[in-house]
Amino acid sequence: MKVIVHDLQEKSWQALGMKLQEKDIVIGEGIEATERDIGKLIGGCRQLVLISRCVYGGFSPYIQSVLNKCRRHFGPLLEIRHGQTHYQVHNGNKNEFGMVCCFYGDQITDREEESARIQSVSDGISLQARGVKIVFFNTIDALRNCKEI
Amino acid sequence: MVLFLDGGCVSAIENEFIMNSMCGYLQQEELITTKITENMDWDRVCRNLEEAQAIVLAADVYLDSVSSEVLKFLEKVEQAVIGGESIGAIFYAVLYTELYEGEQTSVAMEILKNFCSRANITWGRGLGIGGNKLETISVKNSLWRRLRKQIIDFRLGVLQEQALFARERMQGTDVYIHPKEVSRKEYIRKLNRHVKKSNRVKIAQN
Repeated sequence: MKVIVHDLQEKSWQALGMKLQEKDIVIGEGIEATERDIGKLIGGCRQLVLISRCVYGGFSPYIQSVLNKCRRHFGPLLEIRHGQTHYQVHNGNKNEFGMVCCFYGDQITDREEESARIQSVSDGISLQARGVKIVFFNTIDALRNCKEI
Repeated sequence: MVLFLDGGCVSAIENEFIMNSMCGYLQQEELITTKITENMDWDRVCRNLEEAQAIVLAADVYLDSVSSEVLKFLEKVEQAVIGGESIGAIFYAVLYTELYEGEQTSVAMEILKNFCSRANITWGRGLGIGGNKLETISVKNSLWRRLRKQIIDFRLGVLQEQALFARERMQGTDVYIHPKEVSRKEYIRKLNRHVKKSNRVKIAQN
């Protein structure tokens, strides 16, 4: 199962014409998902795709609000991993799912790109993803050619 | 005038502590506090942003970012600057996390610096505080109670230092701290025990 979280307007999302499987789940701005739903979905998927406007070298407010809803699922218990404290992941999905972070924006600076890359990898480590792919696009339309999704 | 932006979404007490700790060192400075919410009085905020000589943002960090409310606020400020708003203040940040290492706020700090660069605001100095849940878990145990004063002093010192930077409008190198009096292992053990206990109480109450 693939979970796609995006901050696009419904029209822009539909225009991308993404080919999805029946089990795949899309979470967009118009969809109200509870804390428990999001944590469970992200915790149980094979691939987590985050499509976000690059805001100051990080995720957009909407994507960040979705990630914040995982608080209960990925915490608040702590553990030591790689010599640092991290939130414990409460499910059997550890190191099982791949994370793809797609950032879009037409004036992303080098510094912002670097910061977005670091945040993506760091979040992948926190959520215990198997791997993290990070891609940048100048326009929403260019997402159509994204092979990683 | 110093504008204190309260961007905490987990605990209001944390930001109150931060503000009170810095307050004494700001001396004669007029201090205006604003809580970042969806329904804040934007006209008043714009006036304060324009008049402030220093802006201090205090916020908690989760998954390497400040909350979505703070991000929305920063975007709105940037738009206001593009629209002609002039902000001459120097920007200071106090970011805190319940994770032990203060360095874990460094990515969020970069996001704030990128904001300053976009909004043409001068970056002052960042302070990242780790192990911020220490207060919560140090209540009943006598050893922890004894350590409590030291722990408060530990945060207090760096907060006061940050206040001095803001008062003097100075720029400085970012600083990241963790509670040195308690080991990482001990902090995790205590915090996890506290969380499990709180969960048991909640279940019993329900």
